[in-house]
Amino acid sequence: MKFTAEKIKKLQVWLKQNRFDGCAVTDLDGVNFFSDFCFAGQGDAYLLITLKKAYCFTKKMYAVDLKKKTPYLTLVDSLYFEDIVKKAQSLKLKNCIFDTTATGYIAGTLFYKNGFKEYAGFIGKLKEIKTETEIARIKKACSISFRAYDIFRKKLKAGMTELEATSLLENIMQSLGGEGLAFNTIMAFGENSANPHHINSNRKLKQNEPVLLDYGCRYGGYCSDITRTFWFGKKPSGEFNKAYALVKAAHDLALKLAKPSAPACLPHNCVCDFFEDNGKLKKYFIHGLGHSLGTAIHEPPFMNPRTDEILKAGHIITIEPGLYFEGKFGIRYEDTVLIGEDKNKILTK
Amino acid sequence: MPKLDEAKLDAVRKLIKQNKLDGFIFTDYNDIKYIMGPVFLSGEAVLLVHAKGVYITARSLYEAPVSQDFPEVKIEGCDKDRDLKTIAAIKKLKLKKVGFDGLKESYHAGKNYIAAGFIEKENFLVPVRAAKTETELKNMKAAAKIAYKTYEHILTWLEPGVSEKETAEEIDNFMKLNGASSTSFDTIVAFGANSGNPHYGTGNAKLKKNMVVLLDFGCIFKDYCSDITRTFWFGDKPSKEFKEVYKTVKSAHDEAVEKAVCGQTGAEIDDIARSYIEAAGYGQYFTHRTGHGIGMEIHEEANISQDNTDKPILENYCFSIEPGIYIVGKFGVRYEDCFYMTKQGVKQIK
Repeated sequence: MKFTAEKIKKLQVWLKQNRFDGCAVTDLDGVNFFSDFCFAGQGDAYLLITLKKAYCFTKKMYAVDLKKKTPYLTLVDSLYFEDIVKKAQSLKLKNCIFDTTATGYIAGTLFYKNGFKEYAGFIGKLKEIKTETEIARIKKACSISFRAYDIFRKKLKAGMTELEATSLLENIMQSLGGEGLAFNTIMAFGENSANPHHINSNRKLKQNEPVLLDYGCRYGGYCSDITRTFWFGKKPSGEFNKAYALVKAAHDLALKLAKPSAPACLPHNCVCDFFEDNGKLKKYFIHGLGHSLGTAIHEPPFMNPRTDEILKAGHIITIEPGLYFEGKFGIRYEDTVLIGEDKNKILTK
Repeated sequence: MPKLDEAKLDAVRKLIKQNKLDGFIFTDYNDIKYIMGPVFLSGEAVLLVHAKGVYITARSLYEAPVSQDFPEVKIEGCDKDRDLKTIAAIKKLKLKKVGFDGLKESYHAGKNYIAAGFIEKENFLVPVRAAKTETELKNMKAAAKIAYKTYEHILTWLEPGVSEKETAEEIDNFMKLNGASSTSFDTIVAFGANSGNPHYGTGNAKLKKNMVVLLDFGCIFKDYCSDITRTFWFGDKPSKEFKEVYKTVKSAHDEAVEKAVCGQTGAEIDDIARSYIEAAGYGQYFTHRTGHGIGMEIHEEANISQDNTDKPILENYCFSIEPGIYIVGKFGVRYEDCFYMTKQGVKQIK
């Protein structure tokens, strides 16, 4: 995998267009996104990006790796916010911004006091339309997750706990080339599947009950996200079959509706209507239809009724309708999807 | 059924009182996990601890399961602007002095909290989270045991021809098979000259006889981390230079373990290891801090570093001691165990 400065360049073009001469980036995801490097934790590195240069404030221990992999970063051996301010002053930046939604209160207050300007949400905005490199990495992460599913189903056995099944699945992704997890795997057996954010437990798998798995891996810093629900055993209940068919149909419907220029809330609202028209089931669909993903697992635009954004070609979203019957079972079906000019492309395949 | 950990909640309430506050807002994923266990995903909840109870506003889908699992907690669903929802709830509760952590809140939310008259307290939960409870220590010891057992296993498993990636996979698998829920960070396996880079990402290099092997790994058991590093010579003809560097690193490590005292600052403990390595003539090759705090997060407070000249390391604080010497292009050596502080000095977590 080749490290790339293309996201810094994209930011510099945007800064110039908007007549800014620099910006500070301090949140881990923003830093990893622009630098294209995978720093381990919040506070491991910060960026000050001007129209010509990208300064990376970080610890000495990263220097060997950074010099080799990211020659487009100018390293500064400090992690003090004050030093970012000093750098901006020495460069005589006049119109330097920080993202108010992706900067901590302490750092933001210091920046503001020293003449940096507030700007809400520009990092999220710049992440929305994916480049070819980003699409290729997400596609690879998605393909690893998708291939892991079949192998997992063959190896899953009655008597395994949710935690054991999770290890099994995660090991398969690792051996297929996954570089860590996109988020904590959700593995829900039986009635636990009715909780969309179930915490994995020692509950053992029995014959003839549903299994819901929601998981993803990373590749080159980018996430994948997929959910499948299936019946473990020979005779799925009629109730399960009926709900499964509806969820899958809702997924297919949303896939058709998620098109460039469509409001991001439209597929969600249509799925709600679809569930309502088929047995008044809307109240069992208790979350948003999906979200975008990239270096973070949840990115804007969100596919829920509260969003006022418009879908565009180059967005990578999830489509994940579900129905949850408390105390009984739940079903969710999710793919990661690239919005194309003419046709959407399911990446989790 | 999950339950709030009373020992932890009491400690949080005491801290709130000590700070002359009547409530505190938590948004950080790990701060919330400390109090509630792993219930909420990152950024999906705001939690308010006050004298009479715990109030949460979170994504709507949590409302039903959380109110069922934690009957003592009041939870309200909210899918947008949870900071504003929290401010409204605090007004209703008639709390007068509510705090928030400026390092954990976004600039946007922090401004709203200041406008509502709340008080900024940086690093608020740090002293409570750094001093581990008995249950926390028990889980950390279990996590450490799995890591040590894995090291024993990998010594017998390694053979010429295996790649760094294959070795990392074996380490990760073995830890999970022995009860770990996951790794606590991406396992580092560095062969030969790769060990000279302290932040090496495991690659495709293959193991040969008479080569340096550096392994840095750990796992999570019941939400708590372990972290160990070992470096050794694979083969029977260690170079003289390796032997000398290894001895220096191991002795620096042992010095720090032996001499660190409860109440010393991180800089003072760092200096024990650092001055030993400097005296041996390798000062410029020790390019990182001596250790980091560890708990639910792999790196947390209890910073054993030259920078930490003001925060003492107190009883039951948990941290690593991991001096290293890195000769870029040739090889590196690091030796790491984790410890907790007692009045009688440090004790290994094992």
